[in-house]
Amino acid sequence: MSLTNRNYFEFFSLPKSFQVDADTLEREYKKLQTEYHPDKFADASDSERVQVLQHASLINDAYDTVKSPLKRAAYLLRLENIDPEEHNQSHLQEAFLLKQIELREDLEMLTAKKDLDGLEKMKGSVTSDRNTMLQNFEVCYLASELIEAKSLYNSLQFLFKLVDEIEAAEEKLLDY
Amino acid sequence: MALLSISEPGESKPTVHAIRKRAVGIDLGTTNSLVATADAGKVQTLCDHKGHCLVPSVVHYSNDGTVMVGDKAVEKGSSDSRNSISSVKRLMGRGFNDVDYDLAYEITENADGGMPIIETSAGSKNPVEVSAEILKVLANRGEEELGGELDGAVITVPAYFDESQRQATKDAARLAGIKVLRLLSEPTAAAVAYGLDRKQEETVIIYDLGGGTFDVSLMRLEQGIFRVLATGGDTALGGDDFDRAIINWIISESGLDEKLSYDRRNAITAVARDAKHALSLDEKTEVSFENWSATLTRDTFNNLIDQLVESTIKACRRVMRDARMDISAITDVVMVGGSTRMPRVRERVAEFFQAEVHTEIDPDQVVAVGAALQADVLAGNKYGDEVLLLDVIPLSLGIETMGGLIEKIIPRNTTIPVSRAQQFTTYKDGQTVMSLHVLQGERELISDCRSLAKFELKGIPPMVAGAAIIEVTFQVDADGLMEVQARELSTGVASSVVIKPSYGLEDKDIEKMITDSFTSAAADKDARALQENRVEAERIIEALENALVEDGNELLDDNEIELLNEGITKLREMITKQDADAIRTGAEALNKASLVFAGRRMDSQIKSALKGHTIEEYD
Repeated sequence: MSLTNRNYFEFFSLPKSFQVDADTLEREYKKLQTEYHPDKFADASDSERVQVLQHASLINDAYDTVKSPLKRAAYLLRLENIDPEEHNQSHLQEAFLLKQIELREDLEMLTAKKDLDGLEKMKGSVTSDRNTMLQNFEVCYLASELIEAKSLYNSLQFLFKLVDEIEAAEEKLLDY
Repeated sequence: MALLSISEPGESKPTVHAIRKRAVGIDLGTTNSLVATADAGKVQTLCDHKGHCLVPSVVHYSNDGTVMVGDKAVEKGSSDSRNSISSVKRLMGRGFNDVDYDLAYEITENADGGMPIIETSAGSKNPVEVSAEILKVLANRGEEELGGELDGAVITVPAYFDESQRQATKDAARLAGIKVLRLLSEPTAAAVAYGLDRKQEETVIIYDLGGGTFDVSLMRLEQGIFRVLATGGDTALGGDDFDRAIINWIISESGLDEKLSYDRRNAITAVARDAKHALSLDEKTEVSFENWSATLTRDTFNNLIDQLVESTIKACRRVMRDARMDISAITDVVMVGGSTRMPRVRERVAEFFQAEVHTEIDPDQVVAVGAALQADVLAGNKYGDEVLLLDVIPLSLGIETMGGLIEKIIPRNTTIPVSRAQQFTTYKDGQTVMSLHVLQGERELISDCRSLAKFELKGIPPMVAGAAIIEVTFQVDADGLMEVQARELSTGVASSVVIKPSYGLEDKDIEKMITDSFTSAAADKDARALQENRVEAERIIEALENALVEDGNELLDDNEIELLNEGITKLREMITKQDADAIRTGAEALNKASLVFAGRRMDSQIKSALKGHTIEEYD
């Protein structure tokens, strides 16, 4: 039985679910790190250290994946044998594509106008859309509508990236 | 010990250390370095027979090959600056073209790479060799104090140090014969010295004003994880600038000619420095130079330096803005560096952050103190609560893609250790070689990031273009150092990876430098190697035998057990002979053969750990 055969939720005594109990995650992560961090094996032989390094990296990756809603969504799809990165155009995505172009134009315009307030407002509305979409993802996932869930995931990818870009634009404007 | 000895979850490890491990913490600074050692939470900084603890980070090379480090090298430097290497830390892991400031010594570009080479009358020296000389002196101090060879050291590096700079530091340690337990970031070490790592939630500013550099770091402690949120500062601002403020005052008050001779300049600098130190304690001081003298009050001094102090505050403001954090979030400020002794600096920092400003520990020693505390824990000298410091990668790691762009593989602020895999394919039929360029930085263009290394993957099985899928795994360890492995997925063939560091030394260079330094004592070395290899081989056998007794029947089949037992018998035979290399090879082979077993033991341990948790939670 290899560690890689176990799903990441099990690492932290969590059920396989889109809902994650943050306290349990933090507590179990810390417990595992305390046990398997390379610092605990500073005096061990090289081959032991290689093993420990791999385990500690896997634990960190599991934590990152379970903690981030976007990564968690992709991971849940993978567990259902759906490749979240595969690109097939569904109806849902086509509709969203138009919206993507619109949002990008908005961002470009606000950046060009150096409109800090506008950017802040846009961030608020995109974040709120994103949260709604996260809820929709969970509904689809629970109902085993996985194709739909995958489409939502792809839209979420865009929204998460857009928030990053808005923040980067704000940062640039603030950097006088 | 080849196999992991893992305790039951929740139990403390059963290891009892009859002998105390000899571990030190080293602050390898730009201007000064320092070594300290800790015993059960009590720290001692180690000084020379004159009581000097700080070792100036200066190395002097004489024509006859004599190497001097510290105070002696500084003395030599006043008459022979070309052969006295100071501030070598600024050259570590950097390229020749990065040196856009004046140095008192001469550097040239390394023939096959961008590394700067220092030309001394004792020959060419690279920055790693120079740093190793400083480390040797510090390690010797530790060995004298602790009465024997060191088991390991924690060495501090600036939080913003990239992979090349960290690697260069670790290479220097290796060259100096020091086992590195961990490279620890300087602000983390300072926070550890004050025990801030033991609190629940803290947002800490580390204000580090040294002799020639100013660094400010914003750190967040949460769930035992120390994260550097933002760093800033000025690499050309420090105590020397404050001295200069007083020198300028003396010149203008006394009507001296600004163009002073070298000797008079040195003399006036000493006067200014004394005045600065005096004003940290007293409200006023007498300043006299040659026939002139006057009183300098602290108020006047504060006026002279206000602009300098303000520029540090500006950097603090910038760091807060970078992290998008409000000043009111700061709970503690830790003062590091001798220049934070100036009352005006302390006042302004306290005023700006409105938080508790820690100055209780000598600011010149606080980083080494933290490093020593951590070294003591890592070496296995346990006392009380154990602390776990999780670090993050300070700059994103990425690879060059088409058109000079970077694809980020591991984003900054990811907790380390971390490993990420990325898949590539061949673009030509029958292609067996592929090269990868790894860079570090936040910008989109490769020209704006630092080149770390070029990797060449060889031995890809020949296939049609696009058929071979090569999975490249980037592994960053707890020190922030990177390793790369590659495997062709459809055939499972491992490709060999040839690394060419952009500004560092290749493994073989370091091996060579180490061997060179030993050639004079070759015989000693052989005897020592034989003895060391025997001890290591015995340890491997013992650990494996214990593990076999414990879990062998449960986790291995008869065939596997027999193979391991054969390996043990073979290695036992080799130990009785005189061939050090054969013993090492045999030990490595047995170690390798037991890897699968070690993996299964760890898995079974994690499995039971997970089981344990589940019961705890849901029972």
